[in-house]
Amino acid sequence: MRLALREIRRSKVRFALLTVAIGLLVFLAFFMQTLLVNLLGFFTGALEHQSATVLVYGEDARRSLEGSNVTMEQVDAVARVPGVASSGPLGERTLTVRADGEAVDAVLFGYRLGGPGAPTLMASGRRPRGADEGVGSSIDAEQGFGLGDAIEVLPGGDGTGRPLTIRITGTADESRFSVLPTVFVPWNTYVDAVRLANPAAPEVRPSAVAVIPAPGVSPGALAARINREVAGVEALTREQAVADAPGVSSVSQSFSLIIGLTYIVITIVIGFFFVILTVQKAASLTLLRAIGADTRTLVGALFVQVLIVVVLAMAIGAGILMLAALGSSPVFPIQADPALVARVGVTILVLALLAALVAARRIARIDPVDAVNRPTLGGLS
Amino acid sequence: MRLALREMVRRPGRFTVAVGMLTLLAVLLLLLGGLLDGLATGSTGAVRAQEGELLTFSATSRDSFVRSQISADTRAAVDAVPGVRSTSGLGVTLVGARVQGREEFENAAVWGYQGGVRGVPAPPPAGEAWVDRRLEAAGARVGGTLRLGPTAVPVRIRGFVDDTSYLLQAGVWVSPAEWRRVTATVRPDRILPPGSFQVLSVDLASGAAPDSVATAIDRATRDGATGATSTLTKQAAIDAIPGVKSQRGTFTFIINTTLLVAAVVVALFFALLTLERTALYGVLKAIGASSTQIVRGLFVQAVVVAAVALVIGEVLTLGLGAVIPREVPLLLEPGRAVTSAVSVLLAALVGSAISVRRIIRIDPATAIGGGA
Amino acid sequence: MAALELSDVRKVYGTGDNETVALDHADLTVGDTEVVTLLGPSGSGKTTLLSIAGGLLSPTSGSVRVGGHDIEGYSKRQLTAFRREQVGFVFQQVNLVPFLTARENLLIVAELAHDTKEATAHADRLIEELGLAHRRDALPGTMSGGERQRVAVGRALMNSPKLVLVDEPTSALDSKLGAQVMELIVSEVRGRGTAAVIVTHDRRITSYADRTVEITDGRLAADAVTA
Repeated sequence: MRLALREIRRSKVRFALLTVAIGLLVFLAFFMQTLLVNLLGFFTGALEHQSATVLVYGEDARRSLEGSNVTMEQVDAVARVPGVASSGPLGERTLTVRADGEAVDAVLFGYRLGGPGAPTLMASGRRPRGADEGVGSSIDAEQGFGLGDAIEVLPGGDGTGRPLTIRITGTADESRFSVLPTVFVPWNTYVDAVRLANPAAPEVRPSAVAVIPAPGVSPGALAARINREVAGVEALTREQAVADAPGVSSVSQSFSLIIGLTYIVITIVIGFFFVILTVQKAASLTLLRAIGADTRTLVGALFVQVLIVVVLAMAIGAGILMLAALGSSPVFPIQADPALVARVGVTILVLALLAALVAARRIARIDPVDAVNRPTLGGLS
Repeated sequence: MRLALREMVRRPGRFTVAVGMLTLLAVLLLLLGGLLDGLATGSTGAVRAQEGELLTFSATSRDSFVRSQISADTRAAVDAVPGVRSTSGLGVTLVGARVQGREEFENAAVWGYQGGVRGVPAPPPAGEAWVDRRLEAAGARVGGTLRLGPTAVPVRIRGFVDDTSYLLQAGVWVSPAEWRRVTATVRPDRILPPGSFQVLSVDLASGAAPDSVATAIDRATRDGATGATSTLTKQAAIDAIPGVKSQRGTFTFIINTTLLVAAVVVALFFALLTLERTALYGVLKAIGASSTQIVRGLFVQAVVVAAVALVIGEVLTLGLGAVIPREVPLLLEPGRAVTSAVSVLLAALVGSAISVRRIIRIDPATAIGGGA
Repeated sequence: MAALELSDVRKVYGTGDNETVALDHADLTVGDTEVVTLLGPSGSGKTTLLSIAGGLLSPTSGSVRVGGHDIEGYSKRQLTAFRREQVGFVFQQVNLVPFLTARENLLIVAELAHDTKEATAHADRLIEELGLAHRRDALPGTMSGGERQRVAVGRALMNSPKLVLVDEPTSALDSKLGAQVMELIVSEVRGRGTAAVIVTHDRRITSYADRTVEITDGRLAADAVTA
């Protein structure tokens, strides 16, 4: 242990550079993981945290709520499928609203009061009980979507309609959609809002049918049944709907690719550094072995150094992450989640120790007799 | 300098590892750049293709194509504004489209347009469409049929056009009448009144300044009874497309962090190398090498390592690009490869520069008197 | 013209109470074809003197003249050029660049001076003379100790220096190898009519030189005059 520390003290620049390099890479890994998790949540949170466990989209929707619409006939047809405990329309629409004095984009989720589609992670207040009430996403509470606030749906078209005011009666956690503030409202309010935004529309169709299965019926089985019995729709479980939402899969795959590469680079940089270090120290290591230090001590010192570097690097990475979180905004979500940091951290630690095995092998192969035998190169001797 | 090159040729082992690490970082950079470019071009193609310098939205739509509505009266008011040569109506409906013989729905955006789109010929007759080449990868062929929406509204593919996607949805370009027909069938809740479009593409008279005409248009419509507008330059409209700005910001941040890592890794590598060679440098200085010559050799090595890593990295990235699934929006552009190459070279130079001070401080007198 | 003239050279490190006098009022003259051994234990200042004579160190006071050039006031850049052009070094430990062939090691100085045309012919001649023709393209790692010695000495002679400075040539060698090295150095140096200063603590080799000067605690023994 003392050996390990003394060497670090003696070659501060080298270790500092290594730690900074790994620290930055660790930060990248942390950053991308939290971004991934948060971003995915911002895309689909509202969908994930509403009460319907089966969602029935239009067949051509490509599993996109935004691109989906179903007819009222289809809503009725779904209600008649055996195994359905309750069902109702679910509307999803991005509209311009005035919140906190400013015109912003927001998503309205309309659902039948008392039916499926209600927000499940209430953070404050209550769900709507009548027309023109709504539950806002809690993360946007400061932006005018908090308990007691009122938002105005702005008229579309030539802009001459009367704005519709919605009172926020409660907030829900993890309930954004499409990375926008989201408000859950009663179905009729939803219809009014969409009509206001698009006066020329002859009818307002639901985006999907929200369904809760009867006790004992699994969502998967019910979805399959609905697919068989109702034409022109695609029924999904809530999990599938969330996983297959547009953007989610491509974002997931892209980020996973990048994160994977980052882990590989971390492993190789650590491995390389400690191998080089070991080669540079070959003479003194051989000497130590010759005078009686055993391999276990030397390898132990190596792992201590790796541990110190990785722990410091993780501190740096986490530190930068927290700085980045200061710059976080509802649009650019960075949170320093301890559980996630811990998970990534453990992965990196394991990779680092694996990387150090190469250097450890070199140490193990040192033959103490070389202390006496080594010729110098190019000297006169 | 020849010394530096010869060392690399005779002792490639050490440098191979550095090249390996930089190659991985180069691949990371190229992939990040490729993702950014793929997302950006795939989101903005249709808008970039507009030949008009300005785009006019309705004021309450917050510059969203999908929510904006411009009535015929508003359009007349816009046409009358000095500096405006002509306006061209645009309407878009996002639908699912099925290629002939396939059952999966592809992402498509049906555009009703009146001309003035770069690369897209004049609006085709009823029942036909110019289709973005993105759908060719999904199996679409010229002369084949696209079935739009759940009711399978058919359109015949008249030909392919390039780079006209919107929000990663392939452009399907039809006459305005055709667009209204499709929308009424597939998305009746999004139908607009006759004569209305969602956005106007505004072509300016020669010599007219875009910003002042934009302001004039918005003033004219605000004062009239026809509905206020928000007129943006094409670039501003592109930036307003959902996701474009935040993607650019996020990816650029990650790319810059990765470059920083590359610089630090190079710095680390050369610091270690310089340390090992201290005695040798002492001797070289003793027999008459100047610090400048040694430093130059260092930079040469940094550049060579970076260059080799970039070449291998590019090849690997192109290979990866070939096997990556279609949903990942990767676009590998030569321009991006060049900027990545330059950044990595700069990072390598900056990183290796950390050893310069140490090299300068090596005292040639250390060559004498007692060994390495 | 003397190859080396040191007049009243002092080298002092540190200040005030921490002052160390490495070299104290040293006077030394070496003729233009003389071979001189500088004999003293370690810490005697012999290394300092060698460094000053070779333009690796500047004296605290006194004058240093090598081949007619007064170098005590030279700037770093001038000293670098001086070392490149006027002197040859044979170091105790690291002499050869490990990844260069014998020939390339000889040519390294010329390359540093951007002056390779004549040097190539010169190097090839030296290689022949040193009996290294068959090892011309070999790397130091593959050469015997004796071959490496010869390359090192050849390298020191490449720029046809006025003065060759040799640091502890036999420090780690037994008598047989030691004799071998000394014979090589002295015959090459004498054969070219070049002067040499050989620094050593090994009394056995003084017989090879024209003259021996003893140095203790930074002071040269009184009789430092040309024979």
